[in-house]
Amino acid sequence: MTAKIRAPALPLDLRDRVLAASMRARAAGRPDPAAPEIPPTEAFSRAAGAFDGTLSVLRGADWAKPALRGLDVQGLVGHLAGVEEDVQRCLAGDPAVAAADHVESTQDAAERQAGRPPEETRAEWRRAADRTIALVRAADDRAEVAVHGMRLPLGLLLVVRAFELWVHENDIRAATGLPGSTPDASTLSLMTGVAVQFLPVAAARASLAEPTSVHLVLTGPGGGTWDISLGPAPDPAAAAPADVAIVTDVLGFCRLAANRATPSSLDLHVTGDPDRAAAVLAAATALALD
Amino acid sequence: MTGSRLSVLPRGGDAAYLDGPLPLAERNVSVGGVGGSVNDVLLAARLAAGDDRALGEVFDRLAPTVYSAALRVLGDEATAQDVVQDVFVELWSRPSRYDPSAGTLHAYLVVLARHRAVDLVRSELRRVARQERSYRLIPGQPAPSTCEEVMASQVAAAVRTAIRQLPDSQRVIIELAYFRGLSCREAAQAVGIPEGTAKSRLRLALAKLEAVLDRELLESL
Repeated sequence: MTAKIRAPALPLDLRDRVLAASMRARAAGRPDPAAPEIPPTEAFSRAAGAFDGTLSVLRGADWAKPALRGLDVQGLVGHLAGVEEDVQRCLAGDPAVAAADHVESTQDAAERQAGRPPEETRAEWRRAADRTIALVRAADDRAEVAVHGMRLPLGLLLVVRAFELWVHENDIRAATGLPGSTPDASTLSLMTGVAVQFLPVAAARASLAEPTSVHLVLTGPGGGTWDISLGPAPDPAAAAPADVAIVTDVLGFCRLAANRATPSSLDLHVTGDPDRAAAVLAAATALALD
Repeated sequence: MTGSRLSVLPRGGDAAYLDGPLPLAERNVSVGGVGGSVNDVLLAARLAAGDDRALGEVFDRLAPTVYSAALRVLGDEATAQDVVQDVFVELWSRPSRYDPSAGTLHAYLVVLARHRAVDLVRSELRRVARQERSYRLIPGQPAPSTCEEVMASQVAAAVRTAIRQLPDSQRVIIELAYFRGLSCREAAQAVGIPEGTAKSRLRLALAKLEAVLDRELLESL
């Protein structure tokens, strides 16, 4: 038996040295394993495929079940067919859809489904989605487009649309008693990127009064870590903005950003000022990416 | 178009705009607390998500134990610090290799440290053995620097101590094989035993060395 060695204290600089070497090996914020990158068109195409997959398992009675905003499942699918029509008008350069209200503009498409056989509604939506996919494949992702009050690059719009399809797919699944679905990690990664990117806009609209530094960690495939500045620009003469760290599951955060979950329903781990964190999470809810 | 127009910069660098009203935020917001306990499952998920603060937290919590485990095997502070760095870089680079369902993060990191330290010792033993053989075969070549000798001595100290604790019959075979560079057959001839017996003694000796190192490590936890 050898004598025990009592380890001396760690050198003060070892922590910095180890963390610096670690960040050289993998940059902070980058998830591991990283989801394979896909273009926005592919994300939209996959979301449309998943949506169609859900429609394919519905039984006849399911189409009449209440789904959202007074629409039954069939009406909601009709609403989405109307969204595709508006997007196609936008791609054709029709300025009328730029400021059109997302719900109002598609109300006719939703209402005209009443009394139709469900398979006709599904086929109408599928044709419309396929037409959108064909058009965007021939378009430039970076081209700015304007539809339903959004003005943004086409690639970004397609990810927002993927988000929308996933949200409504899950509205239908919830209405018909099916378990929720999860996008693949590549699509989810683009979706979370968009939600995080829009968070400062949502924070401004939600009137986040104080400058806030947010360390946001979204766990699970498709997640990642972001450091975001929210609220008004900090006064250089003032103390550093309050720092809030929020850790939650990526899927829960997406549901929050879609206004389909409340912060209190998520598995959240927050450090920093809880009131400030609550304001940030309320802003995420205000994104309403549906 | 109605309402104010706000812009953000997407990753690609192009400005994006959101127009029109957004729904009102829900009012009944509450947040969960971090609590005092550190959860390995959550830490693993945060590390996988690229949360650099999680790595800092793990370092603050477990680096002293990792250092102690490495120092126990190596007996040299500088080399043990290098092992600490290797272990944490490995954890950060390949977070999915840690499976919380298989054990604690504490145990995982200590095992990593032990393996890395033992690898270093083995590597150093091979280097010292090669050097000694080289001196015998090529007389007159420059001697190693004082620094190199000190390093080699420190790094191998723990294993040399363990070798001295072996039964004579096994220690002789280890010394012949590792420090004189003899093959198993040559070592067997030198001692006057069958080759199979020499191999068996070598295996037993290596197993005991591992056990001694492991026991030292366990005592440090």
